[in-house]
Amino acid sequence: MATDAQITAPGTAAAEQFRAILGADRVLDHSLERGIYARDGSIQRGECGLVVLPETTAEVSACMRLANDLELMVVPRGSGTGLAGAAVPLDGAVVISLARMRRIIEIDEHTPCAWVEPGVLNLDLTNHVRHLGLHYAPDPSSQQACSIGGNVGTNAGGPHCLSYGVTAQHVLAVEVVLYDGEVVMLGGLAPDAPGYDLRGLFVGSEGTMGITTRICVRLTANPPAVRTMLLDFSTVADGGETVSEIIASGVVPAAIEMMDQGMIRAAEAFTHAGMPTDAAAIVLVEVDGTQTQIAEEAALVERVARAHNVRTVRIAQNEAERDLLWKARKSAFGAMARIAPNYYLHDCVVPRTRLVEVLDEIAAIGTRHELVIVNVFHAGDGNLHPLIAFDRRDVAQTERVMQAGEEIIRKCVAVGGVLTGEHGVGIEKRDFMPLTFSAVDLEAQACTRAAFDPAGRINPDKVLPRGSRCGELGGDIAALPEGAWV
Amino acid sequence: MGLTPTTADEVADALRAATAEHRHVTTTGGGTRSRNGRPADPGVILSTAGLRQVIEHTPAELTVTLEAGLPATELAERLAAAGQWWPQADVRPGSTVGGILATAASGRGRLRHGPVRDSLLEVVLVTGDGRIVKAGGRTVKGVAGYDIPRLAVGSLGTLGVITQVTLKLWPKPPARGWFAMEGSLDERMAVAERIRGEQWRPAAILLAPGRLSIDLVGATADVTAPAGTSPADPPPEVTGRGLVDVGVAPVAVASVARELERLGRDYIAEFGVGRCRVAIDTAADLDTLRALAHAHDGHAVVIDGPDDLRTDPWGTPPPGLAIMRRIKQAFDPAGVLNPGRFIGVR
Repeated sequence: MATDAQITAPGTAAAEQFRAILGADRVLDHSLERGIYARDGSIQRGECGLVVLPETTAEVSACMRLANDLELMVVPRGSGTGLAGAAVPLDGAVVISLARMRRIIEIDEHTPCAWVEPGVLNLDLTNHVRHLGLHYAPDPSSQQACSIGGNVGTNAGGPHCLSYGVTAQHVLAVEVVLYDGEVVMLGGLAPDAPGYDLRGLFVGSEGTMGITTRICVRLTANPPAVRTMLLDFSTVADGGETVSEIIASGVVPAAIEMMDQGMIRAAEAFTHAGMPTDAAAIVLVEVDGTQTQIAEEAALVERVARAHNVRTVRIAQNEAERDLLWKARKSAFGAMARIAPNYYLHDCVVPRTRLVEVLDEIAAIGTRHELVIVNVFHAGDGNLHPLIAFDRRDVAQTERVMQAGEEIIRKCVAVGGVLTGEHGVGIEKRDFMPLTFSAVDLEAQACTRAAFDPAGRINPDKVLPRGSRCGELGGDIAALPEGAWV
Repeated sequence: MGLTPTTADEVADALRAATAEHRHVTTTGGGTRSRNGRPADPGVILSTAGLRQVIEHTPAELTVTLEAGLPATELAERLAAAGQWWPQADVRPGSTVGGILATAASGRGRLRHGPVRDSLLEVVLVTGDGRIVKAGGRTVKGVAGYDIPRLAVGSLGTLGVITQVTLKLWPKPPARGWFAMEGSLDERMAVAERIRGEQWRPAAILLAPGRLSIDLVGATADVTAPAGTSPADPPPEVTGRGLVDVGVAPVAVASVARELERLGRDYIAEFGVGRCRVAIDTAADLDTLRALAHAHDGHAVVIDGPDDLRTDPWGTPPPGLAIMRRIKQAFDPAGVLNPGRFIGVR
């Protein structure tokens, strides 16, 4: 990463050409502005050469055409809340911010779905359709700030993805500007369009295949009944085993979240939700559906929790209490500021039957490196979020943080887990990809990416280990019958 | 001439040889969806019948990893014993898991369960030149790397041979029931709209000539006949000389159904989903359906039928064709896999 000032910035002439497209005020090249766009929500920092702020698909297309002509690297950016560095520009790349494209274009109540521009904030869409009894199901903790375009980039998750599925299951269509400025619509409202599922491939490509300019997302009916339960335990093992057994008993709740004591204390001090700060772990379970269904499922959850020594079962009595419990969960990352100035957040997923073992090992890793590690995570799908607290001014401590992070990742992989559940690979995890993928696997991925971006100038050096190449592309497709698609 | 490899390595050896010698290879599973795509010289038939091990099924994880040649009915029995199912799959007698995925054969419960491509977590794909590529991950959630599993679903064996998969499973619901009513299309649509508003996540609301069928799953007390309907058998599959899937936006299903009834065609239209399966007899029938689909910004694809109905099974090529070709080139550089299947530009 270029931490020193070795920038190969696009130069004044290029900035002028972008200004000819967008006007003077929507091209930023002051060093302070570039500094802001050199970061995202991760601990990564890059070097931003120029920032452009298009407002229409046509402008994005013109910018991409120009960047392609000038052979400039580009990095798309939504709200910049990403946690793996996917929106961090490297080596003076041009940042294409989609933050000004924030119109909700159309609501189709029948399907139901919404056409939105990429800069629309996740929660704003849900708020916009609430009066229709609908919501947008993927609900990352950052939903007040993150954009739907960014969600498409990372294939974002969230607590309720346990039963409703991640972003890829909610994106019906994406309008994409390709490397040379061509605009294509991938997917659509009609199911099973012929050809390969490029829409599905594009979602989660972390801004490396093209620029999202319009999205059609599925909307979900609000459930007729919801029950939110807060379970508290005197050991982490009891909490973890409760989670595993709920899933094993044939119930998939809308959400199952878990927090350990360090996180409970920070979040409680921040939100005053009345969480038990003496508990070793709390498990937040939400069941939804019909009255009958939630009664049956809540009874099962309570039975399992009692078998694992739950101390108390608190059921949210009204919408305000439910909101408060979720607020405590979703502001966990913000509450980390009470522990230390910085945190390094991981995102691996482990088999649900191995939760307790992995949590024990994470605690041991923290002890070994003399670091505070707290946990708040999507327990129901085994998606861990260990947060390692630190102060980046302490160089020796930062070094231990990176070491502990790597040990956590290796442990997750060793029990059959994956590197990232919802935050993406970005810069942070790219060099860990060989832990779970062979060189052959990675080359196939590089080729898949190259099919969209042959020159590799859209968000380079993300997702795959630096230096990954596709060796197979280049020539014309062999022996294609006349009229053949592929 | 046929091949029945029993390991991914054997598949790789066979495909490496095929690429070296420029021999065409067509993969087959149970053969239940082989009349799909444009008829083409199949070359060597590679059967997945020798790949049928269940590698790992830990019920508490709600996932299963298995070789792709396993018949889906055998998988269903094994899952049922653990109280689980694979609700997105359209299982025909003899269908293999790999065949269902390669043809993106989603079942009729898509309104609730979603399409079959949402159920594939990890795939092992042997490319046309014999590379064994693994992508995705075995956990229920994961975003490490590009979503090659989704790319493999519906690729009709043109990118590689799917040899092994990990599927996301669901607990089998406590109760399930089919209900139906008869009446004019307007009456049926009114009931359909009402049921969709009142019922929590029905699995299917299906329109067929003169009939509306509802598939409900959930708590036993919730699976009762919605007002105006009574318990019934599931509607029979559409049968005909040829079958066409007309895909339109869900909002257009009523208009398409109206036109299909006016034409007197046998059909099942999935309310809220947009897939309408229609029986055809002649190529002219296909033209009529394609015009109907295009009028609603949709498509009409022949999914089954004799050769004379499959000279142009796909219709208009999709956006992003150049990208698809580059992907094909990367996964099957010599173009030996199922050549001509994905074809159909007039």
